[in-house]
Amino acid sequence: MMKWLDERLNLSSLIGSLFEHPVPKRSSFLDYLGFATLFVFISQALTGILLATVYKPTAAEAYTSIQAIQASPIGNYVRSLHSWSADFMVVLVIMHLLRVFYEGAYKRPRELTWIAGVILLIGTMGLAFTGYLLPWDQEGYWATTVGTAMAGFVPGIGDFLVRFLRDGSQVTGATLTRFYSVHMLVLPAIILLAFMPHFFFVLRQGMSSTDALSEAHKRGEDVSKKSLPFWPDVALRMIIVVLIVAVGIWVLAAIYPQGLGDPADALNKSHYIPEPAWYFFGVYQLLKYFPGSLDVVAMVGLPVVAMVVLFGLPWLDRNPSRSPKKRPIALGVAAAVVIGLAFLTYQGMSSVPKPIAAAGVVAHPSYKKDIQPILQSKCVQCHETIATYSKTVEKVTPSNPGASALIKLIDGSQQPQMPVGQEPLSKDQIQTMTNWVQDGAKNN
Amino acid sequence: MKSSNQDKNSASIGRRKFLSIGIGTVGAALGASYVSLLGSFLNPPSASGATELQSVGNLDKFPVNTPTLVSYKGSGVEEGVYVVNLGSEGVIALDFHCTHLECAINWVAASKQFICPCHGGVFDMKGTILAGPPPKSLRRRVLKIEGTNVLIGGMLV
Repeated sequence: MMKWLDERLNLSSLIGSLFEHPVPKRSSFLDYLGFATLFVFISQALTGILLATVYKPTAAEAYTSIQAIQASPIGNYVRSLHSWSADFMVVLVIMHLLRVFYEGAYKRPRELTWIAGVILLIGTMGLAFTGYLLPWDQEGYWATTVGTAMAGFVPGIGDFLVRFLRDGSQVTGATLTRFYSVHMLVLPAIILLAFMPHFFFVLRQGMSSTDALSEAHKRGEDVSKKSLPFWPDVALRMIIVVLIVAVGIWVLAAIYPQGLGDPADALNKSHYIPEPAWYFFGVYQLLKYFPGSLDVVAMVGLPVVAMVVLFGLPWLDRNPSRSPKKRPIALGVAAAVVIGLAFLTYQGMSSVPKPIAAAGVVAHPSYKKDIQPILQSKCVQCHETIATYSKTVEKVTPSNPGASALIKLIDGSQQPQMPVGQEPLSKDQIQTMTNWVQDGAKNN
Repeated sequence: MKSSNQDKNSASIGRRKFLSIGIGTVGAALGASYVSLLGSFLNPPSASGATELQSVGNLDKFPVNTPTLVSYKGSGVEEGVYVVNLGSEGVIALDFHCTHLECAINWVAASKQFICPCHGGVFDMKGTILAGPPPKSLRRRVLKIEGTNVLIGGMLV
């Protein structure tokens, strides 16, 4: 078979050049993140095709078709795999980017590989964003409403952009169908078109970690003692990394199956409070810190700067050295951005209210057991630090609920009643909080 | 002899150049025709598109100074509209999406304000912005009263 192909296409010299480059004996599993991402993308394509055989991309039928998928154990598992793989793909792409950055592998002669990689990153985030709407549940509906509304802040053409993204003024069935076609056809095509050169360049140039060996090889040195052949030694390491990632996805999808929220309700009768997918929590949190007049900076300015920096990085960073030790500025700036984003993501995620079970009135409540959960479910969204004892106690006068700002704000005797813009706390919850203050507001 | 050769060369370069430009032009025209087709096909409906008037109930369903959420049957989804009876100042219809990032606002009777649960935008009963990040007042929709029947239409642009 191989011989037959070789006679016609002269493949062996091509494959030889791809597979025979030497790889250093000491190589990190982090070098295989790109390959692991490719595996997850293939997993996404396969599970996505399976889901597409059942899913109906209309406002009337999307939710019920997902319910139909969920009804069978295998359907449920395939959807969980698709959802978990999406998370893995975002994480792996970002880890791959950070690794390449740390290694300085975007520098000459690999600028074009980096550019194709940035397109792949954007494609991945686009897939994550468009896929979120498809189940047509409350979460997806409102996250898409808010996400597309951000385009409205682009000066001049904002309103048009929003209508273009939604195919109308609001998120409707037309939006769903538009997102479906983008998710199924446009973005996968972009990803494939960007992936081909991305992969080809790596095969042609080798990974940057192999450069030193290749140069020694060119000088005529014997590198066989310092190196492993790509095939089969390094390929074995790669497939083991892929296997670990695959098992991770399979196990997580089995233990934590993807749920399905309430169906999308454009009237939001249940007063659902929108929240983004976890990888957009950094942006979500950032918007809370920006005053309204500067929103355009956060929603348009920062993304534009990020794009310019990502696409322009090989030319913006003029430092020719690839050694991390000789690039303190580049690595320092990147570390600050990563830590900042991680912090914002953490803050954003912890500011999401957690549901609590109705407990009735507690006569002698404990701060940790009874009071903190109420604060965490109702108040932290706006008052991020209120659910710590020191901050809570600042707002009360121990043993005197009537003089405590916290109690007056939740029972409405002081306006505006908290939580602002939402249903007030239940009478039982207010009484429990009052009892805790009456007992001396202890940290118990 | 020499000069005729030169003539031939320059003529053939002229021909090559001519053909290159021709091929490029045809290719660009083909590309441009599909791009314009794409643009026209994907062009969204205009903002004031859905102007069909729909009845949302009798005027007595809307007590004075108590905004009431009604549903306008849009294309594919129900669109939330607050009908606000301002008494002597008439009746207005407010789109229930916050002008910041379009979360659904809630009418909070205790403080007589519309409040957005996402980033804390606050509007008064007429939809005027009072606090928070929203850049402008709530959008109004067409409202018409025929006898005692309240009719809602598309956005007032």
